[in-house]
Amino acid sequence: MTLSFRFRVFVLATMIVGVVLGAVMVVGWSSVQQLEGARLNDRLCMEARRLATQPFRAEALTRLEADVALKLRLGSAGQLLLRVDAAGGPPPIASAGWRDAPDPDSLNWAAAPRRDARNPPDDQRPERSPGPPDRTLDTAPDSLPGPPPGDHPGEPNRERQSEASPPHKMAGPEGCGLASFRRQGDDWRAARYTAGAARSVLAADLTSSQAELQSAAQRALLWVVPLALLLTAVGAWVLASLTTQPVNRLALAMKQMTPQALDQRLPSEGEDREFKALIGDYNTMLARLEVSFHQASRFSADAAHELKTPLTILQGRLELAIGRADNRMAPAELTGMLDEVGRLAAITRKLLLLSQADAGQLALHTTPVDVTELLDALVADAHMLIASQTISAAIARGLVACGDSALLRQLLNNLLSNAVRYSLPTGAIRIEGRALLGGVEVVFANPTVPIEAVHRARFFERFFRGDPAHNRAVEGSGLGLSLSRELARAHGGDLTLEPSEAGEVRMRLWLPQRRT
Amino acid sequence: MKLLLVEDEAKIAEFVCAGLAARGMEVTHCTDGNTGFARAYEGPFDAIVLDIMLPGRDGLSVLKGLRDAGVGTPVVLLTARNELGDRVAGLNLGADDYLAKPFFVEELVARLRAIERRLAGDRQNTVQVGHLKLDRITRQASCDHRGHSRNIELTSREFSLLEYLMRSPGQVFTRSQILEHVWGYDFDPSTNVVDVCIKRIRARIASIDTGSDPAGNAVPSPQTPGPIESVRGVGYRFAPAT
Repeated sequence: MTLSFRFRVFVLATMIVGVVLGAVMVVGWSSVQQLEGARLNDRLCMEARRLATQPFRAEALTRLEADVALKLRLGSAGQLLLRVDAAGGPPPIASAGWRDAPDPDSLNWAAAPRRDARNPPDDQRPERSPGPPDRTLDTAPDSLPGPPPGDHPGEPNRERQSEASPPHKMAGPEGCGLASFRRQGDDWRAARYTAGAARSVLAADLTSSQAELQSAAQRALLWVVPLALLLTAVGAWVLASLTTQPVNRLALAMKQMTPQALDQRLPSEGEDREFKALIGDYNTMLARLEVSFHQASRFSADAAHELKTPLTILQGRLELAIGRADNRMAPAELTGMLDEVGRLAAITRKLLLLSQADAGQLALHTTPVDVTELLDALVADAHMLIASQTISAAIARGLVACGDSALLRQLLNNLLSNAVRYSLPTGAIRIEGRALLGGVEVVFANPTVPIEAVHRARFFERFFRGDPAHNRAVEGSGLGLSLSRELARAHGGDLTLEPSEAGEVRMRLWLPQRRT
Repeated sequence: MKLLLVEDEAKIAEFVCAGLAARGMEVTHCTDGNTGFARAYEGPFDAIVLDIMLPGRDGLSVLKGLRDAGVGTPVVLLTARNELGDRVAGLNLGADDYLAKPFFVEELVARLRAIERRLAGDRQNTVQVGHLKLDRITRQASCDHRGHSRNIELTSREFSLLEYLMRSPGQVFTRSQILEHVWGYDFDPSTNVVDVCIKRIRARIASIDTGSDPAGNAVPSPQTPGPIESVRGVGYRFAPAT
């Protein structure tokens, strides 16, 4: 199966746009996540500092939690854990959730990254710990000024620390440490702020806050993605159509060219450069074809015409000589020569007709022609010629075709004499004539010596005369079938060799009833 | 019959003139279109035989000029190059008949005689040679047999052939000439269809004489040779009435 070029362009364009769209979405999503993570880190640190430095009352824990959750833009207070150890004064307060969370002191704290305007936190550590549960506490040791740990060589700790060193660039709060841990299957991010003796620890549920972001994104994408895909498909289809449009236009124009109108040229105005070149090449080819075609066609027309004058003289003189009583040559000799002149004249006439048909200059004098009458007369002639053979004719009455009566007679005569000529002496020739599809169908079938498919394919070639070994004795120029087909086509009909068994030849002629 | 032949090819004109003269026709010959037009316009001629390819002024133009000038003399066109196109154009311009080269002078004579008959009206529509009689209008052949006329059943081809031979009794017609006149030029000249047809006509005429099967199927060879004679190696002729 061959795919249409248009379809292939469509699929390819859709695929490319789809992949680009997907890549943009993935990159966009990961940067949004990174940005969100960095912001959360900042906010956690800010809040942790506020908690550690501001005085508060222990009994206001629930309100404090709600307040901090609001400031951190968390969905609920349940996504927040806080713990404050005030310096010397009130007892430490801690959220109830710390019970099933790891002890904050056991976490690996890292200094909070300093953010400045020039270096957005794109290349910072992943906010979600990527490893299995045993690697949840994978952050670097608390506020280590030394080299990064050797078991995480890929992590950009060095950059972070070097970035952390210039104090004038600091944007985040000082003394803030960050850590990650897992609690109840969710990822949490914790920030610790120490201000003298006072210390606060804040932790936010990353997974559920991200889940919110994710669902918000999903709600938006639910409409955007199908719409984008639809637009992509429509765009790709339009693009594919645009691509194939000049090709289709070219193909249509080429199809409208007939061998009779080789002087036509395809217009290249308004076409793109590539198609202009293609059209130019096609026109050049057409011009070359036209020249050689006209040479060949003109040659046979001229040859036929030039042959006609000497043939006329020859035939006239022979006729005159035969009529004279006092001629020196034996009349039988002259008659034989006259027959040969007749054959030459017939071939010449056929060549001329063929060259005119090739050039599309067959002048038809079309009238309604009684095909039944023509066939009846031809069948009667055939009966005279081959009394030994049977001819079965089934010809419907009142068959009328539109055509040139002289040419149609020649056409039918060619077909019947072919059937008679190549038929086996023992076989029966069948002729069927009937009205079919707004026209007339005539089938000539005759038994023959078995004919190979190779020879069948060459039936309509000029001067082809079947197997020479078999047909040397049969008269004929080998132009009859070729001319017959040209005549049929010039009438708007066609002549075809029907498939049949090897020992039979079936020619099918169809002629339109009305002028086409 | 007084004819004008306009033909530039001298060798063609030569045998056409000779052939027509041999049939008792008076032929005037000119070799180019302008002279041809002038002579035809002066007239009078019974018919004009006009070649299409002519120096000076071509045959179709001469024909058109004549018809425009109100000259209604019958015209037979001789075509060579674009047979079909010239035929259509010629007939549209008011030609009465056309012949494609190469042609038989005998065929030209037949066409001219047909034109002559058409001009003469009904008077020449029967042919009679000996006791055979043909009616060209009804295309019926009949035979005087012991005092009363009996019809001979002939097919269209058989009638045409018999009529062709009977028009010039005593003259020999070759198979090619007969084939061209009766079957048209497109019929394969190598077939023996003329001989078979002659055989059938003979049988039908003989069946009247002997009174046997009129279909001509199982007729014994007639005792008398009949009116159609074979000329060995050449063709056939219709025996002149004695």
